[in-house]
Formats: sequence, structure tokens, C-alpha cells
Amino acid sequence: MSEAAASEPFSKVTACVNGVQVSRAVPSRTMLSSFVRDDLDLKGTKVSCELQVCGACTVLVDGRPVSSCTYLAADVDGRDVQTVEGLGRGQELHPLQSAFVDNFALQCGFCTPGFLMMAKSLLERNDDPTEEEVKHYLEGNLCRCTGYEPIVHAVLDAARRMRETAR
Amino acid sequence: MLPPFTIERPTGLSDALGLLGEDSVPYWGGTELLLAMKMGLLRPRSLIDLKGLAELTGVRRDGDQLVLGAGATHDDLARSPLVRELCPLLADMEGRVGNARVRAQGSIGGNLCFAEPRSDVATVLQALDASVRLASARGERVLPVAGFVQGAYWTARAEDEVVVDIRVPLPAPRGVYLKFQITERPTVAVAAVDRGAAGVRVVVGAVGEVFHSVDAASAADLDGDEIAAAIEPVPDTTGSVRYKRHVTSVHVRRALDALEGAR
Repeated sequence: MSEAAASEPFSKVTACVNGVQVSRAVPSRTMLSSFVRDDLDLKGTKVSCELQVCGACTVLVDGRPVSSCTYLAADVDGRDVQTVEGLGRGQELHPLQSAFVDNFALQCGFCTPGFLMMAKSLLERNDDPTEEEVKHYLEGNLCRCTGYEPIVHAVLDAARRMRETAR
Repeated sequence: MLPPFTIERPTGLSDALGLLGEDSVPYWGGTELLLAMKMGLLRPRSLIDLKGLAELTGVRRDGDQLVLGAGATHDDLARSPLVRELCPLLADMEGRVGNARVRAQGSIGGNLCFAEPRSDVATVLQALDASVRLASARGERVLPVAGFVQGAYWTARAEDEVVVDIRVPLPAPRGVYLKFQITERPTVAVAAVDRGAAGVRVVVGAVGEVFHSVDAASAADLDGDEIAAAIEPVPDTTGSVRYKRHVTSVHVRRALDALEGAR
């Protein structure tokens, strides 16, 4: 082991990720995005700007959206983490995923996991958002191909579907 | 990848104060600190994670002050019933900081400590005449926001100090917060408040290295062009000095109109 590796400080992380309890010791400087992608092999979470600006890396920690590119893995110790892999159940899509498909809300799909997780956290706090509220909440997520209108429509559509199912 | 560092997790304020030092920095949401580390501007040996300190959390009323724990996140403050009732201007600003992830992660104290010239928080806290309570092993002190923020990315906080809370005098003035923004931070931000017998205060943030605060007997005594001329804008990709003076003048006028209109 090199001298640098020997002096590398580690942190213990025990978290519930998509309903599964995981326990790892990771270098303290590990970002949550690397933790989920590399340590847990959950590659659905994408990394793009690495500046908390684009939203591609959004995951939920205790239900709150965070930019996993700028969030230490050590900080999820004892917490609940949801990534895009946790949305559907087997072959059954989450209503948000179905609404994204039906509304043509993705093209290349790189930004989609981030948009889905942001939208999930929005609908958890507000099950009937206005178009303005959806736009304000998703303002920090960038899409470079589809345009934003289908995405906003998909979120409103998903909200409607989820309210109907809940009724 | 960031250079290696350790993370310390004190559970009480006095333990935390014993750990802080030149290379051991306070850490909360990381929305500013981790970015500065990514850019190589800071290379701390140790992050002192303050999230376990009850002293830094929560929002409460203490007599004629609204006390905001330094660790309260922007989203906590935007949604707090107490803040919305006692200081709607602050709640409105907090609901529009950065993006929804930064609001869920970043704290008001951390925002203030980084003294980013385009901080929404500093601009509105100055309009509200807020003060900052700091603690260190040497004792406590309270500074007005204008004394705390000393320059671009520069505050009066010593290396061994933490911001414990931020205090807004009550009753908080009626006001408006207007900003013009094409990137993740504002190009110009204007807070205008009606302080009753004390007159009107206008604070322009984001344009110069530090917010610019002007008091007058009434809105009629304030002129957008004059205020803009007194500021030394920092030119960047969002505009030149001349352009920024122009948008400043326009937004000061709009903020004053909105303040009058809301009467």
C-alpha cells in the first residue's frame, strides 16, 4: 500500500439505499454520486456539471433532493437514499416514468433520472402543483435536447395520475 | 476527486469550538465549501461537521427578535410558519435562493459565512437590520450583518469562531425583494423595505463586491441612477460595468415602485 493510501481517512457509511441496507467504509472525500455509481453499481444517477447547477445527479436523501456530485457519501450515514433505480417495481414503471414516456419528455435521457427524482420530491410535498410551481421547482435542472415543455406536462400528468390512484 | 481530509462530528458546541482552527473548518451543507474545495481554493485538513449541534438548529421567537439557527436550510426558512408570519420578505427570498437542491442542502449561516457577493441572503438580512451571533472558546460576540460581511468572500469571522444564529429585529419591516437573474446567481438584487418612522432602506446586492445599503426619509428621496452610480460593479459574463449600472437603476426603481404599490 502506498503512503498516500495508508493515510487516506475513511468514513463508515451505513444507509438504506432504495430499501436495501448497505454498509461500506469509503474514503471520507467520496462524493455520494461516486458512492452510488461505483461502490453500489447504481449507474442510473448521472454526473454532468459537478457544480450543483444541472441536476443530472439528483438523488433523494431522507426525501430531500440533493446534488450527489457535491454531497459527501459520509453524510448519508444512518439515512435513507433513493435513486432512480428505486422508482419502478420490477417491470412496473412509476407513474412519473410512465408520464415521461407518454408525454415524450425525454430524448437522449441523460437528464431524466435527475428530473424524475426532483419531480418525485416535488409531488411528495405538493400532490397538486400548478404549472408555475413545477417550473419553479425544476428550474435547477437542465435538459439540452427535448425542451422543457413536455417535461412540465409529464410532471403535471403524473401528479394527476397519482391523485386519481390515491383516491 | 478532492484531496483527502478527515471529518469530525462533535455533538456539543463546546466540543466543536475546541476543534476549529486554521485548517479545520466548519462544515454544514457543503454547497459552498465543497465547491471551493473542488476548485482548489480551499484545502482543509479536517471538516468539522456541525450538523450534530442542537445549538445551531431551529427557528424561534425570542422577545423582539426572530432567531434563525445558523444551520437552518433555505428550504426550512422558506417553509417555516413562524418566518412566513413574522418576516414574509425573508421567507420569500429563501424560497428563491439557488435551486431546490441548494435550498434543501445549504444553510443560512453557511451562505453568510462565504460572503459570496451575489448572496441573496446577505442582501435581505442587511435590509432587515439583522445581526450575527458568533461563538468561540474565547467567548461570544454579536455583529451587525454590515460589520460581519467585510468584502467579497471575506467576513469578520475568525478561524476559531462559528456563527451560532442570526437575529432579525421584530417587528420586521414590510418589503420587497426583486432580482434579475440569468445564471444560478443574480446579476442584480434589490431589497427595499419600509421602516416606518425610520424611513426607507434600499439594499443593492450582487452588483458590487459587497451589498450597497442606502437609507432615506422616503422612497421619493431615492434615485435609481444615483444609487447605481455609487456602486462599483464587478464586470463578468453577465454584463459590463455600464450594463450593470443600467440594470441596477432599473431594478431599484422597480423595487421602489413595488414597495409603494404594496402599501
